[in-house]
Amino acid sequence: MSQTIIETNHLTKQFGSRIAVNNLDIQVTQGEVYGFLGPNGAGKTTTIRMLLGLSRPTRGSIHIFGKDIKKEKLSVLKKVGSLVENPSYYGHLTAVENLEAIRILLNAPKSRIEEVLSMVRLDKDANRPVKKFSLGMKQRLGIAAALLGKPKLLILDEPTNGLDPSGIIEIRELIKSMPKEHGVTIVVSSHLLSEIDQMATQVGIISNGTMIFQDSITALRKRAKSRIRLTVSEAESARKKLLSLGYPASFSDNRIYIENRSDQKVAEIVRQLVHEHYSVYRVEEERKSLEEIFLRLINGKGNQ
Amino acid sequence: MLQVMASEFLKIRRKMILFLIFLGPLGVIVLEAINFGVRYDYLTDLYRNDLWKGLMGEVSMLFTPSLMLGLTIITSMIANIEHETDAWKQLFALPVTRTEVFLGKWFLATILLFVFCALLAGGTIVLGTFLNYGPDIPYLYLLKKSFFPYFAAMPFLALQIWLSIAWKNQAIPLTVGIMGTILSMYSFEFPDWLPWKWPYLENSWGEPLYFVWAGLLTGTILLVTALIDFNRKDVK
Ligand SMILES: Nc1ncnc2c1ncn2[C@@H]1O[C@H](COP(=O)(O)OP(=O)(O)OP(=O)(O)O)[C@@H](O)[C@H]1O
Ligand SMILES: [Mg+2]
Repeated sequence: MSQTIIETNHLTKQFGSRIAVNNLDIQVTQGEVYGFLGPNGAGKTTTIRMLLGLSRPTRGSIHIFGKDIKKEKLSVLKKVGSLVENPSYYGHLTAVENLEAIRILLNAPKSRIEEVLSMVRLDKDANRPVKKFSLGMKQRLGIAAALLGKPKLLILDEPTNGLDPSGIIEIRELIKSMPKEHGVTIVVSSHLLSEIDQMATQVGIISNGTMIFQDSITALRKRAKSRIRLTVSEAESARKKLLSLGYPASFSDNRIYIENRSDQKVAEIVRQLVHEHYSVYRVEEERKSLEEIFLRLINGKGNQ
Repeated sequence: MLQVMASEFLKIRRKMILFLIFLGPLGVIVLEAINFGVRYDYLTDLYRNDLWKGLMGEVSMLFTPSLMLGLTIITSMIANIEHETDAWKQLFALPVTRTEVFLGKWFLATILLFVFCALLAGGTIVLGTFLNYGPDIPYLYLLKKSFFPYFAAMPFLALQIWLSIAWKNQAIPLTVGIMGTILSMYSFEFPDWLPWKWPYLENSWGEPLYFVWAGLLTGTILLVTALIDFNRKDVK
Protein backbone atom coordinates (compact mmCIF):
# COMPACT_ATOMS: atom_id res chain seq x y z
CA MET A 1 0.00 0.00 0.00
CA SER A 2 1.45 3.33 -0.89
CA GLN A 3 0.86 6.06 1.56
CA THR A 4 1.24 9.76 0.93
CA ILE A 5 4.15 11.06 2.97
CA ILE A 6 4.25 14.68 1.85
CA GLU A 7 1.32 16.61 0.50
CA THR A 8 1.27 20.34 -0.04
CA ASN A 9 -1.65 22.41 -1.22
CA HIS A 10 -1.18 25.72 -2.99
CA LEU A 11 2.05 26.20 -1.10
CA THR A 12 3.21 29.76 -1.66
CA LYS A 13 6.03 31.89 -0.28
CA GLN A 14 6.38 35.54 -0.93
CA PHE A 15 9.33 37.74 0.03
CA GLY A 16 7.93 41.23 -0.10
CA SER A 17 6.30 41.48 -3.48
CA ARG A 18 8.46 38.76 -4.93
CA ILE A 19 6.89 35.33 -5.21
CA ALA A 20 9.58 32.70 -4.66
CA VAL A 21 7.28 29.69 -4.53
CA ASN A 22 3.93 29.73 -6.25
CA ASN A 23 1.01 27.38 -5.61
CA LEU A 24 2.98 24.17 -5.28
CA ASP A 25 1.04 20.94 -4.98
CA ILE A 26 3.66 18.39 -4.08
CA GLN A 27 2.82 14.72 -3.67
CA VAL A 28 5.38 12.28 -2.38
CA THR A 29 4.45 8.66 -1.74
CA GLN A 30 6.08 6.26 0.66
CA GLY A 31 9.29 4.55 -0.41
CA GLU A 32 9.93 6.86 -3.34
CA VAL A 33 13.02 8.89 -4.07
CA TYR A 34 11.47 12.18 -5.10
CA GLY A 35 13.81 14.25 -7.22
CA PHE A 36 13.09 17.92 -6.79
CA LEU A 37 14.60 19.52 -9.81
CA GLY A 38 14.95 23.12 -10.89
CA PRO A 39 17.49 25.68 -12.05
CA ASN A 40 19.24 28.06 -9.64
CA GLY A 41 16.81 30.33 -7.88
CA ALA A 42 13.80 28.22 -8.82
CA GLY A 43 12.60 27.96 -5.23
CA LYS A 44 13.82 24.53 -4.16
CA THR A 45 15.49 25.62 -0.95
CA THR A 46 12.61 27.95 -0.12
CA THR A 47 10.19 25.04 -0.49
CA ILE A 48 12.33 22.70 1.59
CA ARG A 49 12.60 25.30 4.36
CA MET A 50 8.83 25.45 4.51
CA LEU A 51 8.56 21.65 4.58
CA LEU A 52 10.82 21.63 7.62
CA GLY A 53 8.95 24.40 9.39
CA LEU A 54 11.95 26.73 9.17
CA SER A 55 9.94 29.36 7.41
CA ARG A 56 6.24 30.02 7.28
CA PRO A 57 4.29 29.66 4.07
CA THR A 58 2.59 32.84 2.93
CA ARG A 59 -0.31 30.68 1.80
CA GLY A 60 -1.15 27.02 1.49
CA SER A 61 -0.76 23.98 3.68
CA ILE A 62 1.73 21.20 4.27
CA HIS A 63 0.94 17.73 5.52
CA ILE A 64 3.71 15.30 6.34
CA PHE A 65 2.81 11.77 7.49
CA GLY A 66 -0.76 13.06 7.27
CA LYS A 67 -0.08 15.67 9.96
CA ASP A 68 -0.39 19.39 9.55
CA ILE A 69 3.13 20.75 10.00
CA LYS A 70 1.75 23.95 11.48
CA LYS A 71 0.04 22.12 14.31
CA GLU A 72 2.20 19.06 14.88
CA LYS A 73 5.64 20.24 13.89
CA LEU A 74 7.61 18.47 16.59
CA SER A 75 6.05 15.06 16.14
CA VAL A 76 6.68 15.35 12.40
CA LEU A 77 10.27 16.52 12.79
CA LYS A 78 11.05 13.57 15.07
CA LYS A 79 10.81 11.34 12.03
CA VAL A 80 12.50 13.63 9.52
CA GLY A 81 16.19 13.93 8.76
CA SER A 82 17.33 16.90 6.76
CA LEU A 83 20.16 18.77 5.15
CA VAL A 84 19.48 22.29 3.97
CA GLU A 85 21.77 24.14 1.58
CA ASN A 86 25.36 24.50 2.77
CA PRO A 87 26.12 22.15 5.64
CA SER A 88 25.76 23.42 9.20
CA TYR A 89 28.32 22.31 11.75
CA TYR A 90 30.14 23.45 14.84
CA GLY A 91 33.70 24.02 13.68
CA HIS A 92 35.36 23.87 17.09
CA LEU A 93 33.90 20.45 17.82
CA THR A 94 34.93 17.09 16.39
CA ALA A 95 32.66 15.12 14.10
CA VAL A 96 31.63 12.90 17.01
CA GLU A 97 30.89 15.87 19.24
CA ASN A 98 28.89 17.53 16.48
CA LEU A 99 26.74 14.45 16.14
CA GLU A 100 26.50 14.11 19.93
CA ALA A 101 25.06 17.62 20.20
CA ILE A 102 22.31 16.53 17.82
CA ARG A 103 21.94 13.00 19.17
CA ILE A 104 21.06 14.34 22.62
CA LEU A 105 18.17 16.27 21.15
CA LEU A 106 16.95 13.30 19.15
CA ASN A 107 17.28 10.86 22.02
CA ALA A 108 18.99 8.39 19.70
CA PRO A 109 21.26 5.66 21.09
CA LYS A 110 24.94 6.57 21.38
CA SER A 111 25.98 3.68 19.13
CA ARG A 112 24.14 5.37 16.27
CA ILE A 113 26.92 7.97 15.95
CA GLU A 114 29.45 5.37 14.90
CA GLU A 115 26.95 3.81 12.51
CA VAL A 116 26.19 7.00 10.62
CA LEU A 117 29.84 8.02 10.51
CA SER A 118 30.73 4.78 8.79
CA MET A 119 27.75 5.12 6.45
CA VAL A 120 29.27 8.34 5.11
CA ARG A 121 32.85 7.05 5.50
CA LEU A 122 33.98 9.54 8.05
CA ASP A 123 35.00 6.97 10.66
CA LYS A 124 38.67 7.79 10.23
CA ASP A 125 38.10 11.50 10.83
CA ALA A 126 35.64 11.05 13.66
CA ASN A 127 37.79 12.80 16.25
CA ARG A 128 39.14 15.69 14.24
CA PRO A 129 37.77 19.19 14.63
CA VAL A 130 35.32 19.84 11.83
CA LYS A 131 36.70 23.24 10.89
CA LYS A 132 39.67 21.38 9.40
CA PHE A 133 37.37 19.27 7.21
CA SER A 134 37.13 19.77 3.47
CA LEU A 135 33.80 20.93 2.01
CA GLY A 136 32.98 17.41 0.91
CA MET A 137 33.70 16.03 4.37
CA LYS A 138 31.46 18.65 5.94
CA GLN A 139 28.76 17.68 3.48
CA ARG A 140 29.15 14.06 4.53
CA LEU A 141 28.89 15.06 8.15
CA GLY A 142 25.67 16.89 7.32
CA ILE A 143 24.30 13.74 5.73
CA ALA A 144 25.39 11.72 8.76
CA ALA A 145 23.53 14.17 10.98
CA ALA A 146 20.43 13.77 8.83
CA LEU A 147 20.57 10.00 9.26
CA LEU A 148 21.17 10.09 13.00
CA GLY A 149 17.58 9.75 14.16
CA LYS A 150 16.74 6.87 11.79
CA PRO A 151 14.28 9.10 9.96
CA LYS A 152 11.27 7.83 8.03
CA LEU A 153 11.65 10.79 5.70
CA LEU A 154 14.89 12.30 4.50
CA ILE A 155 14.90 15.76 2.95
CA LEU A 156 18.21 16.56 1.32
CA ASP A 157 18.87 19.86 -0.41
CA GLU A 158 21.63 19.37 -2.98
CA PRO A 159 23.33 16.60 -0.96
CA THR A 160 26.11 15.97 -3.45
CA ASN A 161 27.22 19.58 -3.50
CA GLY A 162 30.99 19.74 -3.09
CA LEU A 163 31.54 16.00 -3.29
CA ASP A 164 34.12 14.43 -5.54
CA PRO A 165 32.96 11.92 -8.19
CA SER A 166 33.46 8.90 -5.99
CA GLY A 167 31.72 10.71 -3.14
CA ILE A 168 28.80 11.48 -5.42
CA ILE A 169 28.49 7.83 -6.36
CA GLU A 170 28.70 6.70 -2.73
CA ILE A 171 26.02 9.11 -1.59
CA ARG A 172 23.87 8.27 -4.58
CA GLU A 173 24.10 4.57 -3.80
CA LEU A 174 23.33 5.30 -0.17
CA ILE A 175 20.25 7.30 -1.15
CA LYS A 176 19.06 4.61 -3.52
CA SER A 177 19.51 1.86 -0.95
CA MET A 178 17.61 3.57 1.87
CA PRO A 179 14.05 3.06 0.57
CA LYS A 180 14.72 -0.60 -0.14
CA GLU A 181 16.47 -1.41 3.11
CA HIS A 182 14.66 0.80 5.58
CA GLY A 183 11.47 1.88 3.84
CA VAL A 184 12.64 5.47 4.01
CA THR A 185 11.11 8.08 1.74
CA ILE A 186 13.53 10.60 0.30
CA VAL A 187 13.21 14.05 -1.18
CA VAL A 188 16.38 15.15 -2.87
CA SER A 189 16.80 18.44 -4.65
CA SER A 190 19.23 19.24 -7.40
CA HIS A 191 19.71 21.54 -10.32
CA LEU A 192 21.24 18.72 -12.32
CA LEU A 193 18.91 16.45 -14.21
CA SER A 194 21.54 13.74 -14.65
CA GLU A 195 21.82 13.50 -10.90
CA ILE A 196 18.08 13.12 -10.39
CA ASP A 197 17.88 10.74 -13.32
CA GLN A 198 20.27 8.38 -11.58
CA MET A 199 18.50 8.13 -8.27
CA ALA A 200 14.94 9.38 -8.40
CA THR A 201 11.81 7.35 -8.95
CA GLN A 202 9.55 10.41 -8.93
CA VAL A 203 10.35 13.83 -10.29
CA GLY A 204 9.02 17.28 -9.58
CA ILE A 205 10.37 20.05 -11.76
CA ILE A 206 10.10 23.58 -10.50
CA SER A 207 10.91 26.72 -12.42
CA ASN A 208 10.39 30.28 -11.24
CA GLY A 209 8.55 28.98 -8.22
CA THR A 210 6.01 27.02 -10.23
CA MET A 211 5.74 23.26 -10.61
CA ILE A 212 5.91 22.47 -14.29
CA PHE A 213 6.15 18.71 -14.16
CA GLN A 214 5.40 16.11 -11.54
CA ASP A 215 5.30 12.43 -12.35
CA SER A 216 7.39 9.29 -12.31
CA ILE A 217 10.84 9.36 -13.85
CA THR A 218 9.60 6.82 -16.40
CA ALA A 219 6.92 9.24 -17.52
CA LEU A 220 9.58 11.88 -17.95
CA ARG A 221 11.75 9.51 -19.92
CA LYS A 222 8.81 8.62 -22.16
CA ARG A 223 8.79 12.20 -23.28
CA ALA A 224 12.12 11.56 -24.76
CA LYS A 225 10.93 10.50 -28.21
CA SER A 226 13.44 8.46 -30.08
CA ARG A 227 13.99 8.03 -33.80
CA ILE A 228 15.96 5.64 -35.94
CA ARG A 229 19.07 6.81 -37.70
CA LEU A 230 20.27 4.96 -40.78
CA THR A 231 23.70 5.33 -42.21
CA VAL A 232 23.66 4.06 -45.78
CA SER A 233 25.51 4.48 -49.02
CA GLU A 234 24.12 7.18 -51.28
CA ALA A 235 21.88 8.46 -48.54
CA GLU A 236 20.13 11.11 -50.57
CA SER A 237 18.91 8.79 -53.26
CA ALA A 238 18.08 6.13 -50.68
CA ARG A 239 15.81 8.59 -48.93
CA LYS A 240 14.00 9.40 -52.17
CA LYS A 241 13.54 5.71 -52.76
CA LEU A 242 12.04 5.27 -49.28
CA LEU A 243 9.70 8.21 -49.83
CA SER A 244 8.53 6.78 -53.11
CA LEU A 245 7.84 3.48 -51.38
CA GLY A 246 5.70 5.33 -48.85
CA TYR A 247 8.02 5.51 -45.83
CA PRO A 248 8.32 9.01 -44.38
CA ALA A 249 12.01 9.70 -43.95
CA SER A 250 14.08 12.79 -43.42
CA PHE A 251 17.60 13.48 -44.43
CA SER A 252 20.28 15.42 -42.68
CA ASP A 253 24.00 15.20 -42.19
CA ASN A 254 24.22 12.51 -44.84
CA ARG A 255 22.01 10.25 -42.78
CA ILE A 256 18.44 9.14 -42.98
CA TYR A 257 16.06 9.52 -40.05
CA ILE A 258 12.82 7.64 -39.68
CA GLU A 259 10.25 7.59 -36.91
CA ASN A 260 10.77 4.91 -34.34
CA ARG A 261 8.22 2.26 -35.13
CA SER A 262 7.78 -1.42 -34.49
CA ASP A 263 10.68 -3.80 -35.02
CA GLN A 264 8.94 -5.30 -38.07
CA LYS A 265 8.58 -1.90 -39.70
CA VAL A 266 12.26 -1.13 -39.19
CA ALA A 267 13.21 -4.54 -40.54
CA GLU A 268 10.99 -3.96 -43.56
CA ILE A 269 12.69 -0.67 -44.32
CA VAL A 270 16.13 -2.19 -44.03
CA ARG A 271 15.09 -5.06 -46.27
CA GLN A 272 13.81 -2.63 -48.89
CA LEU A 273 17.07 -0.69 -48.84
CA VAL A 274 19.12 -3.85 -49.21
CA HIS A 275 16.83 -5.01 -51.96
CA GLU A 276 17.49 -1.74 -53.80
CA HIS A 277 21.25 -2.40 -53.46
CA TYR A 278 22.05 0.26 -50.96
CA SER A 279 24.61 -0.73 -48.35
CA VAL A 280 23.28 -0.34 -44.82
CA TYR A 281 26.19 0.49 -42.55
CA ARG A 282 24.42 1.31 -39.31
CA VAL A 283 20.92 1.25 -37.83
CA GLU A 284 20.79 3.20 -34.57
CA GLU A 285 18.23 4.49 -32.18
CA GLU A 286 18.66 8.11 -31.24
CA ARG A 287 17.08 9.52 -28.12
CA LYS A 288 16.44 13.12 -27.33
CA SER A 289 18.29 13.50 -24.08
CA LEU A 290 16.49 14.13 -20.83
CA GLU A 291 18.58 17.25 -20.56
CA GLU A 292 16.90 18.56 -23.70
CA ILE A 293 13.48 17.78 -22.31
CA PHE A 294 14.35 19.48 -19.07
CA LEU A 295 15.54 22.58 -20.86
CA ARG A 296 12.39 22.62 -22.97
CA LEU A 297 10.24 22.27 -19.88
CA ILE A 298 11.89 25.11 -17.97
CA ASN A 299 11.86 27.33 -21.00
CA GLY A 300 8.10 27.09 -21.02
CA LYS A 301 7.69 24.72 -23.92
CA GLY A 302 6.61 21.95 -21.63
CA ASN A 303 3.53 20.82 -23.46
CA GLN A 304 5.01 20.07 -26.84
CA MET B 1 14.71 21.00 28.19
CA LEU B 2 17.40 19.03 30.04
CA GLN B 3 18.52 17.65 26.69
CA VAL B 4 18.72 21.14 25.24
CA MET B 5 20.90 22.22 28.16
CA ALA B 6 23.16 19.18 27.79
CA SER B 7 23.57 19.99 24.13
CA GLU B 8 24.29 23.65 24.87
CA PHE B 9 26.98 22.75 27.38
CA LEU B 10 28.55 20.39 24.89
CA LYS B 11 28.64 23.13 22.26
CA ILE B 12 30.69 25.55 24.36
CA ARG B 13 33.49 23.03 24.72
CA ARG B 14 36.83 24.31 23.52
CA LYS B 15 35.43 27.83 23.14
CA MET B 16 36.96 30.75 24.98
CA ILE B 17 33.70 31.13 26.91
CA LEU B 18 34.71 29.12 29.97
CA PHE B 19 38.08 30.78 30.00
CA LEU B 20 36.44 34.22 30.06
CA ILE B 21 34.27 33.18 32.96
CA PHE B 22 37.48 32.66 34.93
CA LEU B 23 39.39 35.50 33.43
CA GLY B 24 36.84 38.19 34.34
CA PRO B 25 36.81 37.66 38.13
CA LEU B 26 40.52 36.90 38.09
CA GLY B 27 41.20 40.21 36.37
CA VAL B 28 39.13 42.11 38.91
CA ILE B 29 40.87 40.43 41.83
CA VAL B 30 44.33 40.99 40.36
CA LEU B 31 43.59 44.68 39.78
CA GLU B 32 42.30 45.02 43.32
CA ALA B 33 45.35 43.17 44.63
CA ILE B 34 47.50 45.76 42.91
CA ASN B 35 45.27 48.57 44.21
CA PHE B 36 45.56 47.30 47.78
CA GLY B 37 49.20 46.40 47.36
CA VAL B 38 50.16 49.88 46.28
CA ARG B 39 47.88 51.76 48.66
CA TYR B 40 47.81 49.23 51.50
CA ASP B 41 48.41 51.63 54.38
CA TYR B 42 46.08 54.29 53.06
CA LEU B 43 43.20 51.92 52.30
CA THR B 44 43.63 49.91 55.48
CA ASP B 45 43.47 53.14 57.42
CA LEU B 46 40.49 54.39 55.43
CA TYR B 47 38.45 51.24 56.08
CA ARG B 48 39.78 50.57 59.56
CA ASN B 49 36.24 50.27 60.95
CA ASP B 50 35.44 47.37 58.68
CA LEU B 51 38.28 46.18 56.55
CA TRP B 52 36.30 43.43 54.82
CA LYS B 53 33.42 45.67 53.83
CA GLY B 54 35.90 48.23 52.58
CA LEU B 55 37.56 45.63 50.39
CA MET B 56 34.23 44.38 49.08
CA GLY B 57 33.17 47.93 48.24
CA GLU B 58 36.35 48.51 46.27
CA VAL B 59 35.99 45.18 44.45
CA SER B 60 32.41 45.91 43.45
CA MET B 61 33.42 49.20 41.80
CA LEU B 62 35.30 47.14 39.22
CA PHE B 63 33.08 44.13 39.38
CA THR B 64 29.85 45.70 38.15
CA PRO B 65 31.24 47.05 34.86
CA SER B 66 33.10 43.79 34.29
CA LEU B 67 29.84 41.91 34.83
CA MET B 68 28.08 44.11 32.28
CA LEU B 69 30.88 43.69 29.78
CA GLY B 70 31.14 39.98 30.54
CA LEU B 71 27.48 39.34 29.88
CA THR B 72 27.69 41.25 26.61
CA ILE B 73 30.57 39.12 25.39
CA ILE B 74 29.29 35.80 26.73
CA THR B 75 25.82 36.16 25.18
CA SER B 76 27.35 37.15 21.88
CA MET B 77 29.67 34.15 21.90
CA ILE B 78 26.85 31.79 22.78
CA ALA B 79 24.69 33.05 19.92
CA ASN B 80 27.61 33.13 17.53
CA ILE B 81 28.16 29.40 17.89
CA GLU B 82 25.03 29.01 15.75
CA HIS B 83 25.51 32.06 13.53
CA GLU B 84 29.01 31.08 12.48
CA THR B 85 27.95 28.29 10.14
CA ASP B 86 24.22 29.01 9.90
CA ALA B 87 23.54 26.16 12.27
CA TRP B 88 20.13 27.52 13.25
CA LYS B 89 18.50 25.80 10.32
CA GLN B 90 19.93 22.45 11.38
CA LEU B 91 18.93 23.03 14.97
CA PHE B 92 15.34 23.99 14.19
CA ALA B 93 14.83 21.11 11.83
CA LEU B 94 15.25 18.92 14.93
CA PRO B 95 12.38 18.13 17.26
CA VAL B 96 12.93 21.05 19.62
CA THR B 97 10.80 24.15 20.03
CA ARG B 98 12.20 27.57 19.47
CA THR B 99 11.22 28.47 22.99
CA GLU B 100 13.35 25.63 24.35
CA VAL B 101 16.32 26.66 22.27
CA PHE B 102 16.06 30.32 23.20
CA LEU B 103 15.57 29.56 26.88
CA GLY B 104 18.46 27.11 26.67
CA LYS B 105 20.81 29.82 25.43
CA TRP B 106 19.52 32.28 27.99
CA PHE B 107 19.81 29.79 30.81
CA LEU B 108 23.33 28.85 29.77
CA ALA B 109 24.36 32.51 29.97
CA THR B 110 22.59 32.82 33.33
CA ILE B 111 24.47 29.85 34.77
CA LEU B 112 27.82 30.99 33.41
CA LEU B 113 27.39 34.48 34.83
CA PHE B 114 26.33 33.02 38.15
CA VAL B 115 29.63 31.14 38.20
CA PHE B 116 31.32 34.41 37.25
CA CYS B 117 29.84 36.09 40.35
CA ALA B 118 30.55 33.12 42.60
CA LEU B 119 34.19 33.08 41.50
CA LEU B 120 34.42 36.73 42.30
CA ALA B 121 33.04 36.19 45.79
CA GLY B 122 35.60 33.42 46.31
CA GLY B 123 38.37 35.59 44.92
CA THR B 124 37.46 38.39 47.31
CA ILE B 125 37.82 36.06 50.29
CA VAL B 126 41.19 34.88 49.03
CA LEU B 127 42.39 38.45 48.53
CA GLY B 128 41.16 39.60 51.96
CA THR B 129 42.87 36.66 53.60
CA PHE B 130 46.10 37.56 51.86
CA LEU B 131 45.73 41.11 53.11
CA ASN B 132 45.41 39.71 56.64
CA TYR B 133 41.95 41.13 57.21
CA GLY B 134 41.15 38.51 59.77
CA PRO B 135 38.65 35.69 60.08
CA ASP B 136 35.47 37.73 60.58
CA ILE B 137 34.27 37.66 57.01
CA PRO B 138 30.81 39.28 56.56
CA TYR B 139 29.48 36.54 54.34
CA LEU B 140 25.99 37.94 53.95
CA TYR B 141 27.35 41.28 52.87
CA LEU B 142 29.64 39.51 50.40
CA LEU B 143 26.74 37.58 48.90
CA LYS B 144 24.79 40.80 48.49
CA LYS B 145 27.72 42.55 46.85
CA SER B 146 28.31 39.62 44.52
CA PHE B 147 24.81 38.57 43.53
CA PHE B 148 22.61 41.64 43.82
CA PRO B 149 24.29 43.24 40.80
CA TYR B 150 23.75 39.97 38.95
CA PHE B 151 20.01 40.01 39.56
CA ALA B 152 19.79 43.73 38.89
CA ALA B 153 21.54 43.11 35.54
CA MET B 154 18.95 40.57 34.35
CA PRO B 155 17.33 43.03 31.91
CA PHE B 156 20.69 43.34 30.16
CA LEU B 157 21.14 39.61 30.03
CA ALA B 158 17.75 39.21 28.35
CA LEU B 159 18.37 42.15 26.02
CA GLN B 160 21.85 40.99 24.98
CA ILE B 161 20.87 37.38 24.34
CA TRP B 162 17.92 38.66 22.31
CA LEU B 163 20.03 41.01 20.19
CA SER B 164 22.84 38.49 19.74
CA ILE B 165 20.46 35.82 18.51
CA ALA B 166 18.37 38.15 16.34
CA TRP B 167 21.33 39.62 14.45
CA LYS B 168 23.87 37.54 12.65
CA ASN B 169 26.21 40.52 12.67
CA GLN B 170 27.51 40.57 16.23
CA ALA B 171 28.74 44.17 15.90
CA ILE B 172 25.21 45.30 16.75
CA PRO B 173 24.74 43.54 20.11
CA LEU B 174 28.37 44.16 21.05
CA THR B 175 28.05 47.88 20.39
CA VAL B 176 24.83 48.10 22.37
CA GLY B 177 26.36 46.15 25.26
CA ILE B 178 29.61 48.09 25.39
CA MET B 179 27.84 51.45 25.15
CA GLY B 180 25.56 50.30 27.94
CA THR B 181 28.51 49.33 30.09
CA ILE B 182 30.15 52.72 29.61
CA LEU B 183 26.86 54.51 30.18
CA SER B 184 26.30 52.59 33.40
CA MET B 185 29.65 53.74 34.78
CA TYR B 186 28.32 57.29 34.78
CA SER B 187 24.94 56.30 36.12
CA PHE B 188 25.24 57.76 39.63
CA GLU B 189 23.43 60.87 38.57
CA PHE B 190 20.74 59.05 36.60
CA PRO B 191 17.17 58.83 37.84
CA ASP B 192 16.43 55.57 39.63
CA TRP B 193 14.14 54.20 36.94
CA LEU B 194 16.97 53.84 34.41
CA PRO B 195 18.05 50.18 34.35
CA TRP B 196 21.68 51.13 33.65
CA LYS B 197 21.86 52.36 37.20
CA TRP B 198 20.48 49.21 38.78
CA PRO B 199 23.54 46.93 38.81
CA TYR B 200 25.35 49.51 40.97
CA LEU B 201 22.57 49.18 43.54
CA GLU B 202 22.82 52.82 44.64
CA ASN B 203 19.40 54.39 44.98
CA SER B 204 17.71 57.22 46.80
CA TRP B 205 16.04 54.86 49.30
CA GLY B 206 19.33 53.27 50.20
CA GLU B 207 17.71 49.91 49.56
CA PRO B 208 19.56 47.78 46.97
CA LEU B 209 16.83 45.14 47.09
CA TYR B 210 14.50 47.45 45.14
CA PHE B 211 16.86 47.22 42.20
CA VAL B 212 17.10 43.47 42.54
CA TRP B 213 13.33 43.15 42.22
CA ALA B 214 13.17 45.73 39.43
CA GLY B 215 15.90 43.82 37.59
CA LEU B 216 14.19 40.45 37.95
CA LEU B 217 10.84 41.84 36.86
CA THR B 218 12.14 43.82 33.90
CA GLY B 219 14.39 40.92 32.93
CA THR B 220 11.41 38.56 32.83
CA ILE B 221 9.34 40.98 30.76
CA LEU B 222 12.17 41.41 28.27
CA LEU B 223 12.74 37.67 28.10
CA VAL B 224 9.09 37.00 27.31
CA THR B 225 9.07 39.74 24.67
CA ALA B 226 12.22 38.29 23.12
CA LEU B 227 10.66 34.82 23.07
CA ILE B 228 7.56 36.09 21.28
CA ASP B 229 9.72 37.90 18.74
CA PHE B 230 11.95 34.87 18.22
CA ASN B 231 9.02 32.52 17.69
CA ARG B 232 7.54 34.76 15.05
CA LYS B 233 10.55 34.98 12.77
CA ASP B 234 11.69 32.74 9.93
CA VAL B 235 14.94 30.92 10.54
CA LYS B 236 17.88 32.28 8.60
N1 LIG C 1 15.20 35.31 2.62
C1 LIG C 1 14.93 35.70 1.36
N2 LIG C 1 14.56 36.97 1.09
C2 LIG C 1 14.29 37.37 -0.17
N3 LIG C 1 14.33 36.56 -1.23
C3 LIG C 1 14.68 35.28 -1.06
C4 LIG C 1 15.00 34.78 0.26
N4 LIG C 1 15.30 33.47 0.14
C5 LIG C 1 15.19 33.18 -1.17
N5 LIG C 1 14.81 34.25 -1.89
C6 LIG C 1 14.55 34.27 -3.35
O1 LIG C 1 13.70 33.21 -3.68
C7 LIG C 1 14.08 32.63 -4.91
C8 LIG C 1 14.25 31.14 -4.74
O2 LIG C 1 15.43 30.89 -4.00
P1 LIG C 1 15.85 29.44 -3.55
O3 LIG C 1 17.02 29.58 -2.66
O4 LIG C 1 14.67 28.72 -3.03
O5 LIG C 1 16.31 28.80 -4.92
P2 LIG C 1 16.91 27.35 -5.20
O6 LIG C 1 15.97 26.66 -6.13
O7 LIG C 1 17.20 26.66 -3.94
O8 LIG C 1 18.24 27.70 -5.99
P3 LIG C 1 19.70 27.03 -5.98
O9 LIG C 1 19.71 25.93 -6.97
O10 LIG C 1 20.58 28.14 -6.38
O11 LIG C 1 19.98 26.56 -4.58
C9 LIG C 1 15.31 33.36 -5.38
O12 LIG C 1 14.92 34.29 -6.35
C10 LIG C 1 15.82 34.05 -4.14
O13 LIG C 1 16.42 35.28 -4.49
MG1 LIG D 1 19.01 26.04 -3.01
